[in-house]
Amino acid sequence: MMHISMIELKAALRRCFEASGYFVGNYEDAADMIVWLEKHGLQGLAEFKSMLPYLCQDQDKPLSTIVYEDSGAIVIDSHNRSSLNCIAAAVDVAYLKAQQAGIATVTVRNCHNRRFVLKAITDCGRRGVSVAAYWQNGKNKVTEYTASIKAGHRYPNYSEALTDLSYSDQQQQSLTIICSARVDLQPSLKKGSAVGEILYSSAQKIAENKQHSVEQGIEISTDLWGEINRIGEGVLVESTDQSRRGAG
Amino acid sequence: MILPASIISALHGPRALPLRAVEKVMDVERLGAMHQSRLSFMRSLVRRIMRECWQIEIDKLALDQQGYGTVIYRIKTPNRVYSLVIFSEFLADEDRNDRVIASKWDLTMALVDGEVDDDYLQMLRENVPKQEAGRVDARVFVLSRANRSMRNFDYIVDKLAGGEQPEISKLSAVGYLYRTTAVYGSGKLGMADWEKVSSCFVDFNRPFSAEMFVCLMLRNFSLLQVEHIAKHRSAQSYRPMHVEIKRFIGIGNSTGLGMAPYLINHPLLINRWVEMRELALARIRVLGVVNPRLQQHLLMLIERAKTYTEQTVTEDERQTGNNQNLLADLTKLAQHIQQDFSGWDSLLGWSELHCSLQGQEMLVSLMLELYPELVDELENYLVVDDLLDLDPLMPLKELQAIIQQRYAWALSYDFSSPQALQHFWYRSQEKMEPRLGQASFEPGEDRQMPLGIAYEVRKCFDLVTSHLQRDPQQSTAHFVLAQPQLRGILRRVQSMNKSVYGDIQVNLLDENVLPMHLLRCKLAFFGVGKFDPKSKLWVRNTMFQGAPLLDEIGQPFNDDWFMPLAPASPQVVEA
Repeated sequence: MMHISMIELKAALRRCFEASGYFVGNYEDAADMIVWLEKHGLQGLAEFKSMLPYLCQDQDKPLSTIVYEDSGAIVIDSHNRSSLNCIAAAVDVAYLKAQQAGIATVTVRNCHNRRFVLKAITDCGRRGVSVAAYWQNGKNKVTEYTASIKAGHRYPNYSEALTDLSYSDQQQQSLTIICSARVDLQPSLKKGSAVGEILYSSAQKIAENKQHSVEQGIEISTDLWGEINRIGEGVLVESTDQSRRGAG
Repeated sequence: MILPASIISALHGPRALPLRAVEKVMDVERLGAMHQSRLSFMRSLVRRIMRECWQIEIDKLALDQQGYGTVIYRIKTPNRVYSLVIFSEFLADEDRNDRVIASKWDLTMALVDGEVDDDYLQMLRENVPKQEAGRVDARVFVLSRANRSMRNFDYIVDKLAGGEQPEISKLSAVGYLYRTTAVYGSGKLGMADWEKVSSCFVDFNRPFSAEMFVCLMLRNFSLLQVEHIAKHRSAQSYRPMHVEIKRFIGIGNSTGLGMAPYLINHPLLINRWVEMRELALARIRVLGVVNPRLQQHLLMLIERAKTYTEQTVTEDERQTGNNQNLLADLTKLAQHIQQDFSGWDSLLGWSELHCSLQGQEMLVSLMLELYPELVDELENYLVVDDLLDLDPLMPLKELQAIIQQRYAWALSYDFSSPQALQHFWYRSQEKMEPRLGQASFEPGEDRQMPLGIAYEVRKCFDLVTSHLQRDPQQSTAHFVLAQPQLRGILRRVQSMNKSVYGDIQVNLLDENVLPMHLLRCKLAFFGVGKFDPKSKLWVRNTMFQGAPLLDEIGQPFNDDWFMPLAPASPQVVEA
């Protein structure tokens, strides 16, 4: 393990995503999402590590498309993209609809790494809209997740629990977001279907995690740090005598 | 940082003060003509140190006779204790290189929270001299390095060892003993993030305050070191340097292209810096009392600025021309003020008709100098959360109108012309150094940094317009869902609609782009002087020349080290 600062991680991740074909705007979002989760004790780096083998594949996939839309709901197909490059735009639409209709539901299908929605919903909370998100993951053992934030708050609540639910095709890689400009949404996982403890991170705990990261920085495995930087080298241009003449 | 209501109402709404037009202020040539001012970060830092009487003492002095070794300064502020740890090592002349790609330096140093024990000092000793190749922890919040001035260092040691004072003319040509070649802060190499610095190390919670402090301390160490070496070389004949000469010695700095991406990538911060400077100017135009005493003060400052400019040495043709124009402007300005000075608005208007941009912006700095009571408090509002937010609610029609209004300058470029896209900005494999490439014959355009804001705005505007023809009611949220490649520029355009001084109005891809303007702008905010461009891509300059010495903390201080002049020759000083 090694110690790094948050800004170092953010800058390295930006280069990494830029080199992997992410658009300007998206690569900043993606880096911000990972750093935000890690900074707040919500395993951003672990989630990122799990998507590393697929990192470059998204540039060949179709962009998100709208499957269905009415005034209070929208269904978006993300075509198996990582949420890192599509979930912010989906939450933007949820925010818009909540402002217009009071409450709105966004369903995102075929979306991976849905944990990163935590950062996007936190941005909504900061902008005065309450958001709740729900998703499931796993085939043999289904884990369900929920996160929410109140309007005007800075930190979300987050829960996850292993369940005895059976696998459902429809739920896999799907994410439901409910957004309201009028009601504070606070979902909680039911104990009935949970196997064992429900892991719960309160907004207060998440705030404490952040303070620790601010004061101490972040620990990262040397291998992962090396891999992030190795991929990021893709944005660097080889140095030549000519290029040295363009240096300040 | 949230602005207080008094400042918000001065910036916006019916009681807003008359700020200068954005197109005027953010023109890149005008920004490249800016000078240091009371709001510059160095001035602000020194005011804080002097007013709060920081106690800065040597905690460890372990230098050999040649001045090599370790020094630790202990800095006690009203809030906290910090340490500045300096490592001085022998460096062969052939290894001395100011470029970012260098790997050895005469001095390396770290600013650290708290006291430093032996174990921690050992960790620093193993890492700080390596700079980018080392790692530190979140107790450290600035890392820097510096090289000796070959023209001055040995010369001054020789003089002091021989009981003489250095020639002032030599110091006028090169007003420093060391040049910093990089000053890293805000989370680089494992250091504390800005979020920690601004919340925990509140003594350094203004922009670049900790970085500036290290440069100030480097200046003070350089004075200590030359005297230390001279005294050990010849204790019998050694004489210390005169205080006036010490005060005239600053710190050299070499600044290259790295500052240009910073200015483009932090538009909210740039907006805030410019906005506070413009607000200071607007306050003076409306509230600044003009009387004979003040007029005399202004004439004295003009005379000082003239002498300062005459004492500025540069071989750069363009800078020489700028300096000559400035001298002519200052002469005309003094004559005009003596004949007809009725108020600031009319004087500013006169300067715009009769002076170069250098002269006009010098007048602004001079005006700020005269009214500390209207200016100085604005230094508390130079920090802002650098967060560009997308507004998904905004109708696309409104977005189109914003681009037409706010970015008319960007739409005015003809990007069908190859000259408009002749350059590209990229990061080199050599230490990720920012470089400027020629699109027609250099590889790397496909990996360029997105600094061509004008070009991005043009492409965005064209797509917005074509979308609106199909769906005039579309929102930004739906548009960006369909066009995710525009997310970055859309977010910028929407944010800059509220932060109008954030965009520097220039096409950075143009064949005639002069990055020097951007460098000069940021350096003026830092507070440097004696600009000496070495090409269109990098500039030497001097920091903290004229600033009070460590011994002067706690002594009377009138904050009057703007445009410091060379002292009289040593004989006159002695007399």
